[in-house]
Amino acid sequence: MAELTRREFLLIGTAGGAVVAVGVILPLSQLAKDQPEAVAGSTTTTTTATSPPTTAAPAAVVGVFPRVRVASLGEVNATDPITFDYPLQGQRNVLVKLGVPASAGVGPDQDIVAYSSLCTHMGCVVEEYRPEHRALGPCPCHFSTFDLANDGMVSLGQATQNLPRVLLEIEADDVYATGVVRLVYGFANTLQGADSVEVS
Amino acid sequence: MSFTQPSSVPLPPPDAEVNIICCEYCPVACAYKAYTWPLGRDGGPSAADNALGVDFPTALLSGAWPSENMHNVILRNGRPHNVIVIPDKDTQAVNIGGTHSVRGGAIAKKFYNPNSPTADRYKTPLLRVRGDLIPISWDMAFDLVARLSTHTIENYGELAWGMKIYSYQFYENVFSASKLAFGEIGSPNYSPHHAPAEGDDVPGLSDTGIDAFGSSFEDDKEADVIMISGSDPYETKTVRFTTWQQPGGAKLIYVDPRKTFTAAYALKNGGLHLQLNPGTDVALYNAMVREVIAQGWEDKEFVDRYTASRSELNEETKWRRAMFGMSFDEIREYVFSRDEFTLEGAEGITGVPADQIRQAAALLTGGGGARPKAMILFEKGLYWSHNYENTAAIGNLGVLIGATGQPGRATGRMGGHQRGGQKAAGYPMDKSPHFYEGNPVEMDTERWLVEGNTRFRWVVGTNWIGAMGATQALAARVRELTSIGPTVASTNVDTAFEQLRSRIDEGGMVVVHQEIYPNDSTQYADLVLAAGAWGEDNYARNNAERRLRIYEKIADTPGQSLPDWKIFASVAQRMGYGGFDWPDTNAIFEEAGPKSAGGRRDFSALVELAQERGVRAHDLLREFGTTGIQTPIVRDGDQLVGTARLHANLEWNTNSGKANFVMPDWDAVAARNAQIGPQGDEVWVLNGRINHVWNNLFDFMRREYSTQRWPMNFLEVNPDDAQRWGIESGDLLSIESDNVIDQLGGRTTGSFTAVAYVADTVPPGVTFTYFLFPGSPANSVTPGDSNLQPINLRYNFKLGKGRVTKIGTTDLVGRMSFVPRNLV
Repeated sequence: MAELTRREFLLIGTAGGAVVAVGVILPLSQLAKDQPEAVAGSTTTTTTATSPPTTAAPAAVVGVFPRVRVASLGEVNATDPITFDYPLQGQRNVLVKLGVPASAGVGPDQDIVAYSSLCTHMGCVVEEYRPEHRALGPCPCHFSTFDLANDGMVSLGQATQNLPRVLLEIEADDVYATGVVRLVYGFANTLQGADSVEVS
Repeated sequence: MSFTQPSSVPLPPPDAEVNIICCEYCPVACAYKAYTWPLGRDGGPSAADNALGVDFPTALLSGAWPSENMHNVILRNGRPHNVIVIPDKDTQAVNIGGTHSVRGGAIAKKFYNPNSPTADRYKTPLLRVRGDLIPISWDMAFDLVARLSTHTIENYGELAWGMKIYSYQFYENVFSASKLAFGEIGSPNYSPHHAPAEGDDVPGLSDTGIDAFGSSFEDDKEADVIMISGSDPYETKTVRFTTWQQPGGAKLIYVDPRKTFTAAYALKNGGLHLQLNPGTDVALYNAMVREVIAQGWEDKEFVDRYTASRSELNEETKWRRAMFGMSFDEIREYVFSRDEFTLEGAEGITGVPADQIRQAAALLTGGGGARPKAMILFEKGLYWSHNYENTAAIGNLGVLIGATGQPGRATGRMGGHQRGGQKAAGYPMDKSPHFYEGNPVEMDTERWLVEGNTRFRWVVGTNWIGAMGATQALAARVRELTSIGPTVASTNVDTAFEQLRSRIDEGGMVVVHQEIYPNDSTQYADLVLAAGAWGEDNYARNNAERRLRIYEKIADTPGQSLPDWKIFASVAQRMGYGGFDWPDTNAIFEEAGPKSAGGRRDFSALVELAQERGVRAHDLLREFGTTGIQTPIVRDGDQLVGTARLHANLEWNTNSGKANFVMPDWDAVAARNAQIGPQGDEVWVLNGRINHVWNNLFDFMRREYSTQRWPMNFLEVNPDDAQRWGIESGDLLSIESDNVIDQLGGRTTGSFTAVAYVADTVPPGVTFTYFLFPGSPANSVTPGDSNLQPINLRYNFKLGKGRVTKIGTTDLVGRMSFVPRNLV
């Protein structure tokens, strides 16, 4: 891969999936939506719907996500998000019950989600939650606002990525964090650069 | 444990190559650095191990974090490279600290990468044969364009040869195109991407003598109060707002029919939102002028010393100023002679409470106390509603309070795009067929075309038809004109030429589209010329504070595509014209230098000094880095000195050197509103820019991050209207009018569809949509008749109207955000 030639670059292109036909505008977001999240061992670095299409070599796996209990189901509520660090110390997140089902939601109502609260614009902590809009923000620095019911996308603002989403699982009456999709602000690799949080 | 792969972004190794470039999109033009390195040689997270020189994780506000969308893989010198395009955290201007907007921040995704949605970049020229566009050679493409051009000019005159082209896409490209169109062919059938005619977009302001781009962003920070009309700076000139206006703490007077983010911000921070009815700007500003004079709040010293008297105005040689210029006494007499301009009269027209108009006048002037530093900024919501009168009315207010030429005191544009419009020769006004009361005005090229006078049209870098008013009427006429005569049925160059020539001779029109991607206008093209883009050659351009910077080449052009200037030069040479044998863009830049002398964009001193030193002008400009230098550039011995603000010398662009007032004719506006406004069950259908995307979305339809946010065009609908019409967010809407004024002044129909976005951003009776979303022609319901504004042939782009009907639902609820976009 390192010595990829011009010809190979172009060939990879023709083999790629997200190709728009001349004169036809495809709903690209639909293509994005249909992309599965990759798992370890996959041959592509594509891990989320919005990650860049790239022919770069896969990043070395520098660690694995711990499975960490975040809260009990009863603690998760619709007005006051629970904050927690995961997977590394200082990687701050919010856990909230949206009150409406979301594609990424877990729990009995499919509405419990967790997202990084480090703004993907310039890293300020964005923790003002607007339950009526299920929105996080505006960020106190440059006002990016994130829609937690729609994969943490920027409803208005300047961040160049959706908020990293924490993968959640429910076991018995507890909510566990099991991974993060998308890169956390400030990091070159989500699992590299700080100590891991304690595994419960 | 989990099996999820951690996200990561490759870091540039210490020996990565570094290029400087500014953002492609809005007129703020944030500075970026592009780091490129061969695949497989990534740097590490320690400062010593990466070219960014920072330890990861980076601190908040470091400006040093490359998000995943700041990375791409490109071809560079024929070899695949990683590229990180990241705001320059060390820049001394514009985006200090490495901040950025959502548009520029992800600009790495602009680069052609065949494994991405950019795969459909044009890579070869194409010819439409039997209805389909198929690849041909450049030799054949140049031959056809040159022969068809020559045939048109020789048989039907130069007015039958037209060019529709971006006004801003770097000095080198605009210069080479205009050298052909004006310098050699001499055709007035030439207009920019955004208007039916060449010329001044803010003529009323220009006629006051004030330059539309006279101030620096530093002035925004210096100001105590800023009035902003018809442009949301947070959404569309983001870093000007977040780095200059917001930290400066000026109180904002935000003037807009919509309660946007900045409106809400202004209200929250001690400012005002003047939520006027669409099309009523003149009444508002005339009332403010009247109130300021009535209270004695005008800048008396400025008015006395620096505005022209009647006798001085009588000496003006520019016909518009001679016709419409006013002294202080005259503007006072006009605004006091009409009940419409009392506070109550204006409230009745504009819907803005009288008390708010008075408060705005007091805020701008200090209300009799200490005079604040006041700025007045505006953009298309103002001057694409009513062009001459609106820009005159707001300019008058600027003159009255002396908001020009001094720190924190200015009147001017926010800008829509960057500034790269240095022409090689003057517009041939003497050949224009269009006049206002005997005075020549620049040709309305669309009217001219619809009348059947254009036989050959070369369209460069624009969704031409979607960008003009009464879009669908124009499209129908273009289809008619391009359907005349035989169909091209051969890739033999002589046969193809004969078939296209027949169309020209039978009264039809040949369309050439020079582009990087297909857009809504491409379906009418006979020939497609595959162009290069930003970052694919070395270029120079100004931003909205006249800051000139180098935009370096980072990636190869895709396939066989060619930079625009090479295409113009190749055709010109085949037509037999000399002086088009430039070896590179630097040669064009150096030739353009002397042509810029004496104007706002004067960089002649830079070229002159470079030549004295025996260095390339582009290289000398590069020495100024991402900070660049503000034009006009002047020499101080061996040094180049930029110009922070125009009119600092207390001279304005008039014969007398003084500023003046300009007739802000409400009667003309009121009559026009009655002609073009909503009728029956129609509502206003306003249009404009939004935060996430830019222009016709040529890049943003190919950026997954953007299409997730905006999978299709939207229509903002007030909750009351939504209830009345039975509409919810996510519904599919038809927007339709059977009463649109077309290019020839007739009545036509227009319609488009969009997803409902129910929001209190718009008041009842007013809706808002994106102005140029692919497949959603918002301009189908805006007027296309420049005769509505005969002083300066422009469209009333922002005054669309139509009936809104739910025609179904979409699948967008649950995958597109409908969160209000004005939360502060």
